Amino acid sequence: MAAMTRVALVVASLAGCSDLSGFGGAVPALVTVHVQTTGELASVRPPGSPDPKLRVALVWGAQWLPEPLCILPPDDATVTALIAAGCRDPFGFVPDRVAADAPLASDGTASIGLLDLPAADVMVGDVTARVAYGSLVVYDDRDGNATLTLGLPSRLGGRQGPMEGDSGTQTLDVVYGASFVSMTEPDARLAFREGGFNQTAAFYPRSGCGDPLASFSIVSAGGFTAAAAVAAQAQGQLPPEDPATCSEASPETPVAVAFRRPAQVHELACEERLTDSSVRYREPPADPPDLAVRTYACPKIPDFGTGMANGRTELAISGRSDESCVGLSHYVLRGCRNDPLCALPAWDITATPPSWWPCPAQAAQ
Amino acid sequence: MADKREGNRRRRAQPSDLMWRPVVVLAFCVGLPHTSHADDGALLSDDTWRYKSAGDLAIDAGLVVGFPAALPTGLSTGVGAGVAKGRTLAWGARAAWVTATESSLAWTVTHSDLQLRVTGAVQKSAGRGTLGLRLGLGGTLVHESRVRNQGMRAGLTGSELETSAFAMLPAADLDAVLAVHIAGPWLLVTSGGPSVDVLDKKLHAGWSAQLGVAWQP
Repeated sequence: MAAMTRVALVVASLAGCSDLSGFGGAVPALVTVHVQTTGELASVRPPGSPDPKLRVALVWGAQWLPEPLCILPPDDATVTALIAAGCRDPFGFVPDRVAADAPLASDGTASIGLLDLPAADVMVGDVTARVAYGSLVVYDDRDGNATLTLGLPSRLGGRQGPMEGDSGTQTLDVVYGASFVSMTEPDARLAFREGGFNQTAAFYPRSGCGDPLASFSIVSAGGFTAAAAVAAQAQGQLPPEDPATCSEASPETPVAVAFRRPAQVHELACEERLTDSSVRYREPPADPPDLAVRTYACPKIPDFGTGMANGRTELAISGRSDESCVGLSHYVLRGCRNDPLCALPAWDITATPPSWWPCPAQAAQ
Repeated sequence: MADKREGNRRRRAQPSDLMWRPVVVLAFCVGLPHTSHADDGALLSDDTWRYKSAGDLAIDAGLVVGFPAALPTGLSTGVGAGVAKGRTLAWGARAAWVTATESSLAWTVTHSDLQLRVTGAVQKSAGRGTLGLRLGLGGTLVHESRVRNQGMRAGLTGSELETSAFAMLPAADLDAVLAVHIAGPWLLVTSGGPSVDVLDKKLHAGWSAQLGVAWQP
């Protein structure tokens, strides 16, 4: 009995000698990225804009292919104007998902802690070699929700009227800069790499630069010109970067983000409906869309030299000029939703086009 | 052809090897019945389930399940053992080791609980069975291991990836105990009931149960 008493006393004396955390306590970030802004915000702020609530968002990039109309040589000046009004930079960074967010301090710095790894759907490659790239976006949190709200371009309805989601998403947040805006400019991006690295992958390529480090790293490149990209594509290669401009550094390396005019970087807050370059066509409605606040043109339907279009045109209309994200709506008098040159068209009103139809009803011979 | 590979070559089973196997099996079949030939071939007899309960010492062991001592959720499983001495009033000691692993979005937490108790029981025999109420007082030594989810993929190391801690929690159990004599000195024992421990200066309620065997000479 005395032994039991001694055991009980020892047990009691040990009670509370340490504490347990369980599921509680602070969750350490998987990686912390440091941002340093450069330049003067006042010089790029739109006149009369309210005092900004600046924040920095880490945005994972989407694998995106522009639609053909936006990258093919324009037919004429009207198509050039349409591309300018309705197409985003084909080499630009396209956001997929906002991963983390932090306020920008008064000294122009911010530290973003990432609590989750990028999901498989924002990584490109297979499980043996995949990578995700993120851009650090400085923005004014106009809607006050403490995160970068991504917009989505609107699109016009067809003969059956507007469909769900046609109105898109208007974002109030104003972007003032990003570490990765376009592949045609110098960039710095957060990379997350698992396994090997595929040098031939065309996911925001950095051909000529070193591989991203394993796990997280800050990688940068000097950018390439659009002409160099087209020339390299014609040869089946990736546009080369100047190796002198490349770097692969640890994720603790501060990333510099320069303030820029919102008009130059507003696309950093715009998602894309489709990422595979495909186009959704619609039958033109009986009532005319509001063309006064939009840019439109009648480009030839792209057939990539097959001659299947036989000179037929479509009506492509940009979004309204006051919308936060650019995009195009496509109408054809004859065709299918996914293919304007389909053999069995879902609609064919070439003989009876709407009265407002501004394009040639028949193919130019 | 000469085999130029390094190391030992595998030797295929030869027909002579295979022939020995039936012979060995047959030898066991013939020999074993002689060693277990008792009671004129009857598998069960009146003596089979006869029990004795002369002693006042009982030692038991079994499987334990219960609520973790310090985790807010989960089911701990493990093993436990105890010793008790006495008839109507008995005292003794018990120990059990149980573990539970649960996850949140950020953590995978494993708690290993070493339960140490001194016990006092009131019990009553009825036929082959014994019913009792057992109070255990003592402590639970908790070892906590936390792993940051996704940390290894993110390249975390050291304390950023994994932490561990110990804590001794004052604890008490109140168990209903049912023991049934099976054969000879062997009993089937099951017990269960509420438990409580002190975690961060707050009472943390739980439960535990055990199913096992006891030996009462």
